[in-house]
Amino acid sequence: MIYLEPELKRHIERGILKCIVALLLTVFYTLIGHAENVSDTTPVSTQGQAIEYLSNFKNIDQSSFWPNIEPHNFIENLLLNITKPLSVYEGSNTNFCGYAALTYFPLHTDPLGYAKFMIKIYKEGSATYGKAVIQPSPAIHKAAGTLRFKGYLDVRPADQLWFLSLADHFKGYVNIFKPHYKPGFENTFWASVNYAKFNRMVRTLFNMKVDARGFDLIHPGIGNVYDYITKCMTSGFTVLYLNNAFLYRRKHIMLRPGIPTHYIILLGLKKVEDQITITYWDYGFRSLRQVTPAFLKKIVFGISHCTKKVNDANSN
Amino acid sequence: MTRIQISTRIVILCILGSMCSCASKNITKYYFQNKNVLDSIEHSYKIQYQHKPFTIEFTDKTFQNLAVEIWTDSIKYIYDFNEADHRLNDTLLKYKLRTKEVYSLVRQMQSIQCTWVNNLDYYAGNIKHSMIFMSIRPRAINYFARKKYYIITYFPAKQYYDKDGTLLVNRRLKKVRKINADVFHRITDNVAYTLSDRFR
Repeated sequence: MIYLEPELKRHIERGILKCIVALLLTVFYTLIGHAENVSDTTPVSTQGQAIEYLSNFKNIDQSSFWPNIEPHNFIENLLLNITKPLSVYEGSNTNFCGYAALTYFPLHTDPLGYAKFMIKIYKEGSATYGKAVIQPSPAIHKAAGTLRFKGYLDVRPADQLWFLSLADHFKGYVNIFKPHYKPGFENTFWASVNYAKFNRMVRTLFNMKVDARGFDLIHPGIGNVYDYITKCMTSGFTVLYLNNAFLYRRKHIMLRPGIPTHYIILLGLKKVEDQITITYWDYGFRSLRQVTPAFLKKIVFGISHCTKKVNDANSN
Repeated sequence: MTRIQISTRIVILCILGSMCSCASKNITKYYFQNKNVLDSIEHSYKIQYQHKPFTIEFTDKTFQNLAVEIWTDSIKYIYDFNEADHRLNDTLLKYKLRTKEVYSLVRQMQSIQCTWVNNLDYYAGNIKHSMIFMSIRPRAINYFARKKYYIITYFPAKQYYDKDGTLLVNRRLKKVRKINADVFHRITDNVAYTLSDRFR
């Protein structure tokens, strides 16, 4: 039998006790975490719920955080987004297409969650959406509502708030050189969204399952793009990350960088002989055009298949 | 070095020199030289757009291929054509555009190398206004310049400019008005221009 000093013995006993407690806590939190994953469901609500919720804020006060957004215009904009989700517009010549694309999800799956977030951020200057705590910087508070010559984004202050706040919060490697907002940066790399960032935003904000195939600089290794996209379209939402310069065939431009620059929400895909008719939401309205399978493969750099989690994934 | 080699080098230098030569030809001068055609395009497009919203964009350097975007109530259709393609006529008819006027517009755009014509809505004090936006890629182009397009905008009303002719937000606020991040300059009271690296 080894004799131990009483003091040393107490230390060892305490150490063993701490180890056991740590072990138990680890097991406990793992189980809780597992339980959370099991009930991990994408929030859903209806348009009617969102409209009813917004009806409580018809006489909302002017926010001190957003001096350039009048409450009446703000509520009107939210109602318009909820009743006509396809009217959301990224703005002419801005780099907001990534943020506009992801707006499609809450407006079609959880408009109430979107409305609650927007009201909270308007009243309190910051708010939590999904797992993201959005705390816009003072420059964003000041800029929202002042963007001009962007088409009808000019008169949609809530959309300006939404786009600017998301661009301010989420950062990717494309934003390294312009991390902080200055007037005019909505047209620059400050507002750009690389592919990983886009998918991360969808997961973080809306708790959706995202199956992403693609890259920022090279084409995804998919044999038959048409077949793959068609399969994706049987459930959820499909986002294409593509090269806009190729989509709009401009051959008078000397240098057309072969990199993706644009996000669209795919609404329809139909192949007749050697022509594929694609219908997509390109912000503000739906667009339709015909392309060849080879051309489709050339322009597509990323395909994100987004579905609601657990209960209704792959059944939407 | 032989005489032929010397002359070849001189020719190459001349070609490079001409390519690098100042293509930032005075746009105001360009506007007044082509005023009749430009004004006619603006006038014609404005009328046709009110009848049915659409845009015309030339997609190649030869100005033979064009993309037509046509808006209906719910969808924007985008079609690519060769000018001689009979499908262009069929499409214009299908969407009830005035074919004769549109063809005339296309020819006028070709004649001055107008790449794109569009209607851009903008808002001043929450009131909607529209302006006609034209992109022109002139023949005397500097291939090495970043800004290759002349952008000419027709405003519906008189605009405010500072003493250097820079477009301002309004008379009261001496703030420069930027359109698509470009600063515009005065040609006339309601026509302004800029040089841009993009045409739309």
